[in-house]
Amino acid sequence: MTILLAEDEPDVQLIARLSLKKAGFTVVTAGNGVEALERVAAERPDVILLDWMMPDMDGFETCRRLKADPATAGIPVIFLTARVQEAEVARAMALGAAGCIGKPFDALTLGQRVLEFVAG
Amino acid sequence: MTIRSRIFIVVGVVIAAAFAQTLLVLRIEGRRGEISAAVDRALWRVEQQASLGRLVAELDGVERARAGMGSAAYGEEHGRLWTLYERSVALLPQYMDDDEARRELSAIDARLRAWHEAASGAPAAGQGAVLIQAIRGDLDRLETRERNRLAAERARANSQSLQSTLLTLAIPAAAIVMLLALLAIIGRILLDPLAAVATSARQISAGTFDVTLPRESRDEIGDMARAFREMIAAVERRQREAAESLARAEREHRRLQATIETVPVGLLIVDAETGRVALQNQAATRLIGHQPGAGSAWLAYWDAFRVTTREGAPVPLRQWAATRLTRGVVGEELVVKQADGRETPILVSAAPLGEEDGRISGAVVAFQDITSLYEVDRLKSEFVSIVSHELRTPLTSIKGAIQLLLDAGLAADADHLMLMNVALANTDRLVRIINDILDISKIEAGKLELAPKPHAAADVAAVSVQNVAQIADASRIALASRIEDGVPPVVVDLDRMVQILVNLLSNALKAAPAGSEVTLAVRRAGDGFAAFSVTDCGPGIPPEKIELLFQKFQQLDGANTRKARGTGLGLAIVKALAEMQGGRVEVQSEVGRGSTFTVTVPTARG
Repeated sequence: MTILLAEDEPDVQLIARLSLKKAGFTVVTAGNGVEALERVAAERPDVILLDWMMPDMDGFETCRRLKADPATAGIPVIFLTARVQEAEVARAMALGAAGCIGKPFDALTLGQRVLEFVAG
Repeated sequence: MTIRSRIFIVVGVVIAAAFAQTLLVLRIEGRRGEISAAVDRALWRVEQQASLGRLVAELDGVERARAGMGSAAYGEEHGRLWTLYERSVALLPQYMDDDEARRELSAIDARLRAWHEAASGAPAAGQGAVLIQAIRGDLDRLETRERNRLAAERARANSQSLQSTLLTLAIPAAAIVMLLALLAIIGRILLDPLAAVATSARQISAGTFDVTLPRESRDEIGDMARAFREMIAAVERRQREAAESLARAEREHRRLQATIETVPVGLLIVDAETGRVALQNQAATRLIGHQPGAGSAWLAYWDAFRVTTREGAPVPLRQWAATRLTRGVVGEELVVKQADGRETPILVSAAPLGEEDGRISGAVVAFQDITSLYEVDRLKSEFVSIVSHELRTPLTSIKGAIQLLLDAGLAADADHLMLMNVALANTDRLVRIINDILDISKIEAGKLELAPKPHAAADVAAVSVQNVAQIADASRIALASRIEDGVPPVVVDLDRMVQILVNLLSNALKAAPAGSEVTLAVRRAGDGFAAFSVTDCGPGIPPEKIELLFQKFQQLDGANTRKARGTGLGLAIVKALAEMQGGRVEVQSEVGRGSTFTVTVPTARG
């Protein structure tokens, strides 16, 4: 299963990448929203893990564009965010996200949680 | 000597003088009567003597004509005249007032009687004629003397009469003089001092205390002058005191005025009777940027504004004023929206102004611009939000790194494993602290939104217990739920209610010794409430510490160091969350026996 991990913070990206790799995912990374869109178009991942706060294009805008493009609208998007407030979770869900994972996440169960959200 | 006695003396003298005058007049009148009687008697006497003289002359005439007339005729004529004479001469002495005249008359009478004896017999010859001539001469002399005396009496009577007339005229004159003197004296001793006192009183009324008073004689006027002087002194003293007190009051008033104008708190004083603003200080004008000022009608005053609560609900000012100005209010937050769209959050306090008789004469309204507080609040929330976000990112890396290292089995020995677990546990604790700080910050900013819905009490309990089951297992503590039958659904925000119970259960698990039991009991608590009680048999909490429990950043000393420590915010959040859902938290604890924390929340109706 291929997952796109969009995260601007290199350390967090590393932890998440290792964690997901350990869980058996093929991980494609991006440092911002623009890059993420390019990689999605190129790699056609099965699931997208989006950091909310990113330079150039944030997770919100990236998600909006993914959902607006019929080619990518069907790919589940899961937000990875330090903002775990109800309002933001509700906003993410309203954008069509499959779920929200708060930071700091549990590195041992990250892949499992992603799979749970993908399964609905 | 008193004035009364002086007046008594003056009046007494006047009355005595009048009395003496009257006596004098009476005496003069009496003497005039006597003199008049004497004159009358003298007149009569003179007449009698004259008539006697005439009788004697007639007797002489008859005697002389005796030869020419018959003896019978003579006898008859002589006899008639003699009888008349005798009658006259018998009456006369009683009118004579001196013995000499009486003796003289008696001698004349004796000589005439002798003549009569002689003449009755034979006709009087030459000797008889001589005798009678002599008698007639004596009578004439007597008469002349009596006439002279009469004239003297008359002169005396006239003189007396003049004296009496003069005296009669003198009395009213004297009375007038005495009355004038009396008036003058009374004026001098009574009216002049009174007039002086009246003048002084007028001067004092005009504000001059340096007045001339009648000298202090030892009488009523003196008394009055003294009393008046004392009164002036008292009035002057009181006026001075009043002036000082007024000056003091004015000084106080100026100070108060300066204070009122200087304080950064907006102040309005509303007069209940007129319904007008009696005072508006500079801060008030500055704050509301509005110059209706003192004197404008209170209710119209606010028409320029729209006032809302902090949350934006409109506040009808007339109703607001009706209750707050009569009952008072402390620290109510309102937002004033002005015509130009400016919004100023204010903190309002008001208090009625009670009079001594219990009447409310008005109200004082104090308000403070709390824009800066709002700003500080906003900055704090923003800061907390940013900090928590910024902290989460490195924590994510740290936590993930440790977890992955642990998972890779890279610990060289048991010590390394323990150290890595310590690092992981403290990372988790740091995350909890950040979460709690965010929660508290949101609660305090009023930004925490809850969605209370009915939930089965058993479900709420089950979710909560499940949340801490792993910790309980690890601590070898039994977790028991006891749910009373028929507890109605509780109306709560599920996540927040679970947060409350997990918090309490975590605390209980920390306090409870290994091998003991922690229970979560749910039961009805009166009408419309359900109580969730978490009981442990830990060390208990000393009574003096119970009050501190729900304050922020308070942790009990001697908290179990082997277990993960709390954040110090847990119970403060629990209390706030319970209260926000219409519930409350209570603690019962006994040192050595354990503690029970009870959260009471509303249940669904029907």
